Amino acid sequence: MPRIGSESAMDILIFGTISASILLLSSIGFSMTLKTEGFINIAHGQALLMGAYLALWLDGLGLPLWAAAILASIGCGFTGVILNRVLFKPVKSKGILVLLFTSVGAAYVIYGIVGALAGKRMLAFDLPPMRAWQIAGQPFMTPYEFAIVLLAIVSALGVHVFLTYTWAGKSIRAVADNEDLARVRGFDPRRTSDIVWFVATALAGLAGVFLGIVGSLHTQMGWQMIIMILAVTVLGGLGSIYGVMLASVVLAFGIEIGLMFVSSSYRTGLAFALIIAVLLVRPGGLQSLWGGGKTRTH
Amino acid sequence: MSGLLLFLVSMVSLGAIYAMLCVALNLESGVGGLWDLGIVSFFGIGAYAYVIVTAPPAASYQAYIFGFEAPVWAGMAAAMIAAALFALLIGALTLRLKREYFLITTLAFAEVIRQIFVNEAWLTNGVAGIYGLRPPLREAVDPSAYGFLLLALLVAGLAIVFLVTRHMVISPFGRSLKAVRENEALAITAGIAPRRHNLKAYVVAGTISGLAGVFYVWYNTIVTPGQYSSDVTFFVWTAVIIGGLGSLRGALVGGFIFVLLHDILRFVPVSGEAAATVASLRTAVIGLALILILRWRPNGLFPERATVFGGAAPAGAKAMVSHNA
Repeated sequence: MPRIGSESAMDILIFGTISASILLLSSIGFSMTLKTEGFINIAHGQALLMGAYLALWLDGLGLPLWAAAILASIGCGFTGVILNRVLFKPVKSKGILVLLFTSVGAAYVIYGIVGALAGKRMLAFDLPPMRAWQIAGQPFMTPYEFAIVLLAIVSALGVHVFLTYTWAGKSIRAVADNEDLARVRGFDPRRTSDIVWFVATALAGLAGVFLGIVGSLHTQMGWQMIIMILAVTVLGGLGSIYGVMLASVVLAFGIEIGLMFVSSSYRTGLAFALIIAVLLVRPGGLQSLWGGGKTRTH
Repeated sequence: MSGLLLFLVSMVSLGAIYAMLCVALNLESGVGGLWDLGIVSFFGIGAYAYVIVTAPPAASYQAYIFGFEAPVWAGMAAAMIAAALFALLIGALTLRLKREYFLITTLAFAEVIRQIFVNEAWLTNGVAGIYGLRPPLREAVDPSAYGFLLLALLVAGLAIVFLVTRHMVISPFGRSLKAVRENEALAITAGIAPRRHNLKAYVVAGTISGLAGVFYVWYNTIVTPGQYSSDVTFFVWTAVIIGGLGSLRGALVGGFIFVLLHDILRFVPVSGEAAATVASLRTAVIGLALILILRWRPNGLFPERATVFGGAAPAGAKAMVSHNA
């Protein structure tokens, strides 16, 4: 995210909040598939890329931005379901390493196709310019940024409500904990798996659109974000969805504060320096702070 | 015709460099069970260490402060020592982490190291890189024949690396590594120290990658941070998986097959915008190849074969069967 002028506490608060929102939206889905399918889905970063470019294309066709964003997100959701059924499910019995590298293959295919269609140029959404709101004479967020923060918080709450109170959400948690037991209790792992992939990839697509709105679109964005998503996920504890929510905030503000001391080109480097430091002290990530890393992780 | 020949020589040279990285990765990740997503770290450290030691001092428009113009052998030694030291440091910190955490942390280190290459211009000349680096024996032959001489050097280097690694794999050290990979608890019972063996494999793989970095500098005559992104790590993993994870022969052949898949389209002359499209599609082809191999031949084209010691193993006696390349 570009910045002008010197860093004030207000800037850190604003930029930290925006980064945290997008990080959160990007990472929840990744954490859901890690929890239920048990592997690191590298292609998740490319779902952001796909969402951003899909929305840009739809927007270019004349759709309003909000409609383009929703359709792109739904499109990503279905792509996620298809990826799971066609690529991941058939090799699930062959172990995590095969799944992991199948997702690397999928990431390269999506990256290659989007790159071939969109070209290497940096692109941006054609948005009517809006001035940032003023609070006590200080510039605050633009309405776009505010909407993104709001939507990210609503989505996170939505995922929480969905997992806690709905039949589908309960089945996701049941299957993640113990697939055989869940089957015996009448949950259908296949349907559950479809729902997880749809929600996870749709959220990633939406995060990609938001990333394009606050910054720009370029073909490397998927790879850059998967690195940040991995950082958030490790910090939150692998597969812990609530750990991820806390970790997005910690990491985003950690980076904003850290950038006061080092060059902004060290953004992801800073994230990883933080991760390395945390892992060396607490090999189980942040969630081990409240559960010793052994209790339920969601 | 000579254009095609030069292209082939160039491809085989690149294949030899990739094969070297594959042999290194296969030692730690195939023979040992380390899921290392940071192999590019040592490739880059080796390359930069070599350049810093052997490059001439910076010109007025360049920013780096070192450049000792030392002989090639000193550069190679520096590259391997630097790679080994960093591997020792990173390995000592990360090897106590379990699989996924290890994988992500090694990827993290690679990313941090790449950003150091980008940002610390006093050391690396930043994104501009350092170019015009003279490969060894440049004056010994006619410029048009140098490609063949370089190829010979690379193949000789690959042969030495391969033989050393093969020796390690069939030695008690290699068998211990496999024991730790197959069943860590049992290996400990047999008196094998897992951490020490893993660290040794990690450092050896790092050292070999550092040497490969030197060869990559000879091949390119330029060093830039962009050459050492995590793409290299994923490409080397792809090559090793295509060949067969754990198989020495597979690692050797995998590197060449990968370069064939990835770079053969470079010879097709295309222009401007189309070139970018072709470059993107090349990446998609690699992804597809990886998916197909994992689906239909998850053990690669040359799967690791089980070696049976002391005649036929009794049925079910898995512990007596070790894997050998």
